[in-house]
Amino acid sequence: MMDALIRSLIDGLLLGFVYGIAAMGLTLIWGVMNVINLSHGSLIALGMFSVYYLFVGLGIHPYIALVLTAVLGLIFGIIIYFIAVHRVINAPELSTLLATYSVNMMILGIGTAIFTTTPRNIPLDLGSIQFGDTVITMTRLIAAIISVGVAVGLFLFLKYTRPGRYIRAVTDNRDAAEIVGVPSAQVLALTFGLGTLLAAVSGGLIATFFPFTILSGETYELKSFVIGVLGGLGNPVGSLFGGLILGLIEGLVPMAMPTTWTPVLEFVLFVLILLVAPNGLFGGEE
Amino acid sequence: MAILELHDVTSGYGEVQILWGVSISLQKGSMTSLVGANGAGKTTLLRTIMGLNKAWSGQILFEGKDIHRLAPHTRAARGLVLVPEGRQLFTHMTVEENLLMGASPKRARADINRNLELVYDMFPRLKDRRNQKAGTMSGGEQQMLAVARGIMASPKVLMIDELSLGLAPFLVLQLFESLKKLRETGITVLLVEQNVQMALAVTDYAYVLAEGKIEIEGPSKVVASNPEVKKAYLGL
Repeated sequence: MMDALIRSLIDGLLLGFVYGIAAMGLTLIWGVMNVINLSHGSLIALGMFSVYYLFVGLGIHPYIALVLTAVLGLIFGIIIYFIAVHRVINAPELSTLLATYSVNMMILGIGTAIFTTTPRNIPLDLGSIQFGDTVITMTRLIAAIISVGVAVGLFLFLKYTRPGRYIRAVTDNRDAAEIVGVPSAQVLALTFGLGTLLAAVSGGLIATFFPFTILSGETYELKSFVIGVLGGLGNPVGSLFGGLILGLIEGLVPMAMPTTWTPVLEFVLFVLILLVAPNGLFGGEE
Repeated sequence: MAILELHDVTSGYGEVQILWGVSISLQKGSMTSLVGANGAGKTTLLRTIMGLNKAWSGQILFEGKDIHRLAPHTRAARGLVLVPEGRQLFTHMTVEENLLMGASPKRARADINRNLELVYDMFPRLKDRRNQKAGTMSGGEQQMLAVARGIMASPKVLMIDELSLGLAPFLVLQLFESLKKLRETGITVLLVEQNVQMALAVTDYAYVLAEGKIEIEGPSKVVASNPEVKKAYLGL
């Protein structure tokens, strides 16, 4: 019993890191440009398919495929920004919501036509390692390590590089950024690209241990919203902790009740946080 | 030689017209003041020159080229720099990060170290506080930072909106002294000021804006002795 509990706990925590970077993508876009990206879930799913086809189709090792997927995600996000988001960026939030929702519907529609909804599975087995009595699946452990690396990388990028400083400046005051010479539209496009990159990478990682279809992203999008609210929207570091909390719930719930209760508990938590601490447990952007 | 010229510029917000055909001309290396009552359109004029407001009609020539269709960041990249009203700092960033942001245009990046030294020399206070978040500083310090951020851009034309607003008199004097020093480096300055007496005392040329039009212009000394100006703006 105790072993099973510890194992579930560890599994949940490892998964939580991956959820964390998915939520980071959502919350980065929201924090910088006040856009609720409703295509987030389908972008996560595209990340899954990208790693799948690079591996199964072209024989590229999944973790190298992940790097390519990150690059593709960045480029795709920038394209989405200029096609669908840029023209409504100054409009009320409902417009950007609808714009990203239509991107979502397009990806899902085309994706369903091409990939069908037959579940896929990335045949990657790296075995497991044993600590005492607990067994950890390698793919999960590696996914967690990569997620932490991505999160740290994002933090350093925002803190210490020129484009990172530009993103923070545009978040702080877009007009002021323009008058000191920052091309703010390009900075917003980069931000959307980074958010998409995070979505795609998290999807690619999840696909290394869970089966998926083009419709799988929705679940993770909803989780990202819960995590975003837990950690404070617009607070990427909070996202990581929010992810861990959700991962814990996911690990522990099956010990006590049927797995189908997991989303129920998650959304009860979501509503509670909104009621009690609307800025999140770790503070929002303001 | 004129570095910045406006011909018959009109502009406003939404349906409301604020500027009704403004023409001004800044001589290279000069210091010009723009004075006028509240609501005369001074801030709108600076925002229009910078591109934050669209010019509805007319021409804005910077170094002889029409810039009225360029985005604000492109104008900044060419050397047209605004220190905006209300400071508009990056309040969540540190003092030094704000200064580095000021040096965003490519042409300013080579001068970063020299400019940092210059502004820290001009405002030692900023050096002491360089790791502090800009939003946590006093109003006077924030105003210093706003001016310093403008200088970091290596401006050809520096436009300052309400330099003295809300500041203690000794600080105002200090800032004006700094401006005089700046001018020796060859920068052209356009100063919008509520403190009309002070503005006319330090600048070479002056425009008086009233109801969106230039009402009076001339060398600052002449404008200062204009009976209308004395009565309306100097309280004499």
